[in-house]
Amino acid sequence: MNAAGCASSPGIEILYSDHHAWLVGWLRRRLGDAADAADLAHDAFLRLIIKPAPRGFGSFAEARGYLRAMAQSLCINLWHRREIEQAWLDTLASRPKDYAPSAERQAIVLEALREIGALLLDVPPRAAQAFLMSAVCGMGSQEVAGELGVSARMIRKYVAQVMLRCMQAQACQTSMALRDPSS
Amino acid sequence: MNMSCSPFFRRLPPGLRDAPEQPPHAAMEEAAEWYALLISGEGDGDRAQWEAWLAANPDHRQAWRYVEAVSQRVLAPLQDTADPRLTAENLHAANVRTLRRRRVLAALALLAGAGLAGWQHVSPGGLIMAMTADYRSGTGEIREIGLSDGSRAWLNTASALNEDYQAKQRRLQLVEGEILISTAADAARPFFVDTAQGRLRALGTRFSVRQENGQSLLAVYHGAVEIRTAHSGETLVLAAGRQTRFTAENIQPPAPADPAREAWSQGNLVVLDLPLEEVAAELRRYTFQHIGVAPEIAQRRVFGAFPLRDVDVALKLLADAVHLQIRRPLPWWTTLEAAPEHASPR
Repeated sequence: MNAAGCASSPGIEILYSDHHAWLVGWLRRRLGDAADAADLAHDAFLRLIIKPAPRGFGSFAEARGYLRAMAQSLCINLWHRREIEQAWLDTLASRPKDYAPSAERQAIVLEALREIGALLLDVPPRAAQAFLMSAVCGMGSQEVAGELGVSARMIRKYVAQVMLRCMQAQACQTSMALRDPSS
Repeated sequence: MNMSCSPFFRRLPPGLRDAPEQPPHAAMEEAAEWYALLISGEGDGDRAQWEAWLAANPDHRQAWRYVEAVSQRVLAPLQDTADPRLTAENLHAANVRTLRRRRVLAALALLAGAGLAGWQHVSPGGLIMAMTADYRSGTGEIREIGLSDGSRAWLNTASALNEDYQAKQRRLQLVEGEILISTAADAARPFFVDTAQGRLRALGTRFSVRQENGQSLLAVYHGAVEIRTAHSGETLVLAAGRQTRFTAENIQPPAPADPAREAWSQGNLVVLDLPLEEVAAELRRYTFQHIGVAPEIAQRRVFGAFPLRDVDVALKLLADAVHLQIRRPLPWWTTLEAAPEHASPR
């Protein structure tokens, strides 16, 4: 394929023919599933089209490094989504048979789990626990402090920290929705 | 323990339709701190102060709206689950598992830079071994592999296998899952399969090995296989038509092998008189979906052949065979229940 139109960096079609098969193989070895690997490789190239690397790629190795990093984060996202779904199935499975929330309700819970879950991946595990116990389980800060072995004051600090991140994520979402009123 | 949502989020004074610009960082921080204090169970005396803070500045009110939005959109659905504590614990466990996988992936990236390190030197645990195995099958996938000596191996769902062929011996390592082996004759090189619990030596043969939790299951269909356990060194030659489970310490008494067991290599689950519960457990290995069985029908006996490459079709056939109905409230959630009484039994 001719990339005459792209002066500074190889075009997406060159990148694709150079790296796509390798990326699918790389993903497949990690995921153990051909369909997942093909999907994620597709996502990776789609991202490159929508948002190309800022300064292009200087070399073959640089492009591979970039794609590898992107593929890693896509793998983690996929695993996380599956883990969250499994966690919710486990939660449901341990309830008596007559407890069956509606499909709509479950979709809302799953979405909330994904959102909070993704946010908590990036905070220290102790702060994540403190937040879940306080904000979701409704435990008082003394009680949480007793379970985690730190002071109640520290617990409030953790909760505030995580809440601030949630608020910032919410603000980010709101401003995106305002920019694109159709969503 | 107070499970209910704190009342503060539903008490916002009306008329707060402010401009959509994000409030200053300081206001956002203060709002988060107020939130932490108010849900701590110790801030009751500070209620009036919170209200004063809220009234003092439109930025405060706008920042508080984000607290409210987060509470209603993502926290309330979790608080309203039947057991919020269990919901939270399972979410935390899912995150811990994800973080562990992230670390493994990062470690692998470092290894990749160090060249092709042999799997036997780098593996601190089962996870990393499975991820770096020579052959892997995904959930629901059944793979056939031709080995370099002409032997054939089938990988059952979610399995991982390493190949280590040398001049004097042929060795496979089952990391997880199940394999079926049909060995090619090679008098000069014995054929071994290693599991976490011991070593199997093939004596001209067709056999399957399954790595279970803490034990291995061996079934021999042709020829014979010698077991040697990893710790105790106990040995046993298992003849065709027999199967047994063994741990690193000991070998259970052999039982007749179920010839239907090897049908998975052809993509079929062949069931001869098993309880429905066990059939569902077997199908679960091939799918990410949850398959539940109502207790009152769990012991129904099942006969039949079911395609493993399409679990949905298998479930439909199973429903016909045992006269039950499939309920699927969500795409990945299936419950098998007794069919209504008035339907004609088959």
